[in-house]
Amino acid sequence: MSLLTMTGVSKRYGGVRALDGASFELEAGEVHGLLGPNGSGKSTLNKVLAGTVNPDAATIVLDGRPVEIRGPRDAAARGIAAVYQQLSLVDSMTVGQNLVLGVEPSRAGFVSNRASAAEIDAVLERMRRGLGPGVTAGTEVSGLSPGQQQLVEIAKAVLRKPRILILDEATASLHRDQVNLVFEIVRELTAAGTCVVFTSHRLEEVRTICDRATILRTGRTVATVTVAETTESELVRVMVGDVAQPERRTATPSTDEVVLRVRNLSAPGVHGIDLDVHRGEILGLGGLQGQGQSELLLALFGATATPSGEIDVNGRRVTNSSVVRATGNGFALVPGDRGSQGLFMQRSIQENLSIVSLRRRLLAALGISMRKERTVAEDAVQRLRIKIGGLDDPVTTLSGGNAQKIVIAKWLLNEPAVVLLDDPTKGVDISAKAEIYSIIRELSSAGVAVILNSSDDVELAELCDRVVVLYEGRVRTHLVGDEITSENLVSAALLIGEGDQGTVEEQPAAADGGAR
Amino acid sequence: MSTGLDNRAAGTRAVAWIRRVQIASVVTWSLLAAVVIVNALVQPTFFTLYSITSTFATFVPLVFAAVAQAIVVIGGGLDLSIGTIVALSSVVALKVMNGSDALIGLGFLAALATGALCGLVNGILVAVVRLQPLIVTFATASVFGGVTLVVLPSPGGAVPPAMSQGFRLAFAGVPVPVWCVLAAAAIWLALSRTRFLRHVYAVGGDALAAFASLVPVVRIRALSYVVAGALAGLAAMGVLGNTGSGDPFIGADIALDSIAAVVLGGIALRGGRGGAIGAIAGAIILALVTNVLFFLNVPTTFRELASGLVIIAALALSVLTTRKAVVR
Repeated sequence: MSLLTMTGVSKRYGGVRALDGASFELEAGEVHGLLGPNGSGKSTLNKVLAGTVNPDAATIVLDGRPVEIRGPRDAAARGIAAVYQQLSLVDSMTVGQNLVLGVEPSRAGFVSNRASAAEIDAVLERMRRGLGPGVTAGTEVSGLSPGQQQLVEIAKAVLRKPRILILDEATASLHRDQVNLVFEIVRELTAAGTCVVFTSHRLEEVRTICDRATILRTGRTVATVTVAETTESELVRVMVGDVAQPERRTATPSTDEVVLRVRNLSAPGVHGIDLDVHRGEILGLGGLQGQGQSELLLALFGATATPSGEIDVNGRRVTNSSVVRATGNGFALVPGDRGSQGLFMQRSIQENLSIVSLRRRLLAALGISMRKERTVAEDAVQRLRIKIGGLDDPVTTLSGGNAQKIVIAKWLLNEPAVVLLDDPTKGVDISAKAEIYSIIRELSSAGVAVILNSSDDVELAELCDRVVVLYEGRVRTHLVGDEITSENLVSAALLIGEGDQGTVEEQPAAADGGAR
Repeated sequence: MSTGLDNRAAGTRAVAWIRRVQIASVVTWSLLAAVVIVNALVQPTFFTLYSITSTFATFVPLVFAAVAQAIVVIGGGLDLSIGTIVALSSVVALKVMNGSDALIGLGFLAALATGALCGLVNGILVAVVRLQPLIVTFATASVFGGVTLVVLPSPGGAVPPAMSQGFRLAFAGVPVPVWCVLAAAAIWLALSRTRFLRHVYAVGGDALAAFASLVPVVRIRALSYVVAGALAGLAAMGVLGNTGSGDPFIGADIALDSIAAVVLGGIALRGGRGGAIGAIAGAIILALVTNVLFFLNVPTTFRELASGLVIIAALALSVLTTRKAVVR
């Protein structure tokens, strides 16, 4: 009998189906991998199990008995503990306080430090090799490196003695030695009958530690395989499935004229990036989510602290030390999170459209001509076919797709040379998606250099002239023209057959070589 | 080799401890020392038993209010209604005791209960209804102040004689107001060992992480206001002991003073850091500044202005130095 089965797990976020009847089965004492491309629902499935996401439908059977998991508390009561890449440590508290947070042994309301001290010291000693000598129960968490914090987080979960331990990208910020230490601990746990659910963007780790793996695609379970008996190319085939290759954009109008030239750009989350984007070209950023794509765009846009490296626009060296300077240098960023970064939700459409490019139309550097503002805004709304009630309505009255078009429109009014798009179609419906695609194409035919980060491989294949695949903040693969297929994108994202691809007919890569 | 490691571990532990506990408090304690010295210089009688008794008698309410405020602020909140909770608790206790020595115990219970009840109102509005603490407690401050006026429309009434006289006595050679301040510190030290306060730190430090670690965030937030209210009730008894009669307007300055005391004491307003011992020191600093200005013969018209400026300077000093320590 299996320890846990989940069947018919479904979850919608607005118009997007994150999980569509996924299923999952765990045996006691196994390490079970969850695999799938971006948007396949791995994280959501993990979170349903851990109780942090409430599914629309799900049947969960634990020890042969149906159970409901309504919150983290329910999950914990059933012996399920989860570790994510995003930490649940309180920075301002000590390591020891964090390790027992929420389960402090206490007598009459008073915390008994002595009761937990032995346990805390033992688990820290077990982690010593990864933590380094200086970390004790009294060290404040804010003083630790991300890797050390991640180990403390894992220690915290282990200390709760779970029957099912979820490690969701929990090894992402760890060095190889630290990962090996975690694997040793995982093996000890499984030998004692604990079941570990393991997700990692590093396929190598999945192959090392997992006994079986469940593969998800667009929210459905497509296969459960025994890892040792499955080749990497088989894995990719199952992950990608038989997708109809989308119709690619016709005849690339790409010229030799380099609009954006980036050399050795480093910033938090990205290292040594070289890029050339030509006039009228759409360059895609691929790879699994969270491998530095958004960070690269933010660094180009001057939104992260102290990026280093060279950026040239149309042959002129620029320093994008702030967002305002980047905008002045002809950059525009359409962010992924419209609500918090792209729009003033409560203000009128008119104001939202005008805000970035206001200073271009100032009268005597001071006054705003409302008539001029309206004409410009009306033009933009018409050009992008944005469906609005009136310019004075607040943005909250618009659908997701139309709101996204407002974000694009406000930047276009500033006549940018380089447009950075950070997952612009995330969470928008199909018809709005198609319209955003046509806007992106119009941009490129107008001669703008476009960089498009997308978590959707089909979208990259449909729109891009070239794709660079990022892995842990570095460019690992270039794909040009017809090489851009879902299968190649997934292989490249998982570093499968590295070096086999992206070496053919690659003008920009040749330019890179020349620069070094 | 292992001893070398142990030494290093002990060394880093010591450094971590100093970083955690000390940096904020070094500034606080230096300020306190400075203000005590200045006070002793301008007021030659400062160290006499009489003077210490009467000076400490004036701090007691603010000290308790500062501990109350510290708990709320560490939990990531703010309580602007502490002042009127003190006022309401004091008039309720006054009515309950009705000038009779026999009813003093009942008066304490009434003050604690009134304070806790007011805190519960704040706690429910902030934690359960999820309104902004600033707005909620600004509004409830008016409500509690209004109720105070209904209970006691104008200053008056008499505190039981045993209470107002006892407040001026010394016990084991130490004046009773000093014992009260020590009691406030003891209450804090006891609280800081509880699971409740550990969770208050967690909620104030990172509410989402606390929630993910199964800390009952809503209950802890609400409870922090209740405990603060109860402590404000104790502050109210200090007010009654010190003034000897009831005054519905007594709390006006206490709320903002308690926030200033908390910041002076090195508690971050964004929550999660610091301790109420610092806040107690902060409260004493504030009270002594007023005292110094009085003995310097600063004209009454300028005293408010001068004390404001001194407080700004002290706050800037303590905040700027702690900020550097935290960001590194």
